[in-house]
Amino acid sequence: MQVWTKLFAKSPFKPLIKHADVVLETVETLEKALQAWYDGNYEEMDKLAVEVDRLEDVADRIKEEIRDSLSSKLMMAVAREDVLIYLHMQDKVADAAEDTAKWLLVKRPEKISPEIKDLILEMGRESIKAAKLVYEAIVQMDRVIESGFSEGEINREYEIIRQIESVENKIDSLDTRLMQIVFENAGGMEWSEGFYILNIARTLSNISDKAKDSAERIRLMMNK
Amino acid sequence: MIITVILGFWMAWNIGANDVANSMGTAVGAKAITPKQAAVIAGVMNFTGAYFFGKSVTETIRKGILNVNMIHDPWIIVYGSLAALLAASIWLIFATYNGLPVSTTHSIIGGVVGYGLVYAGASIVDWGKLAQVVLSWILSPIFGAVVAFFVFKAVRRSILVRKDPVKSARYWAPFWIGLAFVVIGTMFYIKVLHGESLFHGVLVYGIPTGIVIFVLSYLLIRLHFRPNDPYLGVESIFRKVQVVTSAYVALAHGSNDVANAVGPIAAAYAVITMGLSGMEVPIPRWILAMGGLGIAIGIFMYGYKVMETVGKKITELTNTRGFSIDFSAATVILVASWLGMPISTTHTVVGAVVGVGLARGIKAINTSILKDIVISWFVTVPVAAAISAVIFKALLLLG
Repeated sequence: MQVWTKLFAKSPFKPLIKHADVVLETVETLEKALQAWYDGNYEEMDKLAVEVDRLEDVADRIKEEIRDSLSSKLMMAVAREDVLIYLHMQDKVADAAEDTAKWLLVKRPEKISPEIKDLILEMGRESIKAAKLVYEAIVQMDRVIESGFSEGEINREYEIIRQIESVENKIDSLDTRLMQIVFENAGGMEWSEGFYILNIARTLSNISDKAKDSAERIRLMMNK
Repeated sequence: MIITVILGFWMAWNIGANDVANSMGTAVGAKAITPKQAAVIAGVMNFTGAYFFGKSVTETIRKGILNVNMIHDPWIIVYGSLAALLAASIWLIFATYNGLPVSTTHSIIGGVVGYGLVYAGASIVDWGKLAQVVLSWILSPIFGAVVAFFVFKAVRRSILVRKDPVKSARYWAPFWIGLAFVVIGTMFYIKVLHGESLFHGVLVYGIPTGIVIFVLSYLLIRLHFRPNDPYLGVESIFRKVQVVTSAYVALAHGSNDVANAVGPIAAAYAVITMGLSGMEVPIPRWILAMGGLGIAIGIFMYGYKVMETVGKKITELTNTRGFSIDFSAATVILVASWLGMPISTTHTVVGAVVGVGLARGIKAINTSILKDIVISWFVTVPVAAAISAVIFKALLLLG
């Protein structure tokens, strides 16, 4: 009897999916905070930013649990390093969301032009897409293994990865545009204002960057 | 004599209570059958396996390991059998308590060697035979792994990666069941009808049985509704297949492990009823039946509880994987029984699990257990032999 209880270890994929779920919630809450920021509803924004921080903590705890459970003695369908690095990247998505939330709390954006605000809000919306796709990608990875690495399921996974990459591309170009606008208007802007905007943009584009890194790891998991 | 029978029966009970969970664990864990169903299947099939296919292995334990011609006093065999059974039981209780994956088979062989050594020294042990047996212990998990690796690869290739996995499963699932019956049919020809030619057995008994079963199971395995997810469909087909393969495992288990309990009884019985010449005649069937019965009672009294626990613990196993493990392990064990090799069922099943894992079929396997198993290979025989030697000496002094 002990043989069985010892032999079958828990699959890391269910906890990974759970972690992805919390990461997605973190990014969604951040987007709500951005919306409140856009609307000038600062009280609500503060509350949501604190919530982002709390969710990031939850994600961290799940990450630790998964790490502790992945002993080097496990024989898995995918390489242990890939799982660990993937987890690290997925967790960084939530970290980046927390960073954005921190910057939101630093100051009130009274003098920021609507054009810039629109761009930032759009970056927030795209980030959610990236986080959702990461969640889909890890769910699909579980299916790929379940199917014994069948061609059809692998192709479906590649499709999700491609979508993540295209979202990342889009956010990148939004980020570039934002930078251009800030520097074009640098003359009429306080330095703190520009610093504030650029940092929000940088942390936001970080979300999709890390989403892309996670996708890269999944690509490696499917290699034979 | 009565004590030997009681001890042997107790051993059989223990095998039913504990070892059976190892053979049925994958089916219960993959939710193919409930613990109660598992108990009924295991009880019936273990008895059948023990009664029809259990003879060769029992003969090996009865008179294959020790050169019984060198024993001139029938009571030596009676005391020896008693010592071997007691020693194996003591070591098993100790090992189980400490969570070591020790084999009943290995312990009983150790016990037999132990009393032999005390009685007549190293010359009485048939070292060549013992080496063969020990080699079979190392080979059986390896074969289990290799077969399971290819079986799972075949399942993957023929079903999982196909465009319509459910449709492929409808053809291939009966094929695997049929193949299991080819092995069983051939075994039946050789062991029960005492057929000589393996080729003849496969052709006349094995393949026709397989084909009949293929057609039958093709007609029986129908999906009443098709789930949207093709893999759920495949799994639900294999859930039915696993009912059959778990019975196959139980049959194989009975055929090999009954010897652990009745081998020593048979030895004692033969010399008591017929003197030393009794060793020359084959064991009576009723002794095998008694062993099978003991195992069945063990299952019904306690084994199903163990299966319940095991079933709750194994949550990650799906039916296609469970099937690959069951089919491979059972085939390897049955072939071992045919060759008269007393092997460890548990170790073979563990080997099969690792084989599916190597084929990237299982998400996570804890390999630390493998180290424990390898250690148990080297520890069990000397320790059980030592305990048996001490008990035998004590019995000689008392008797």
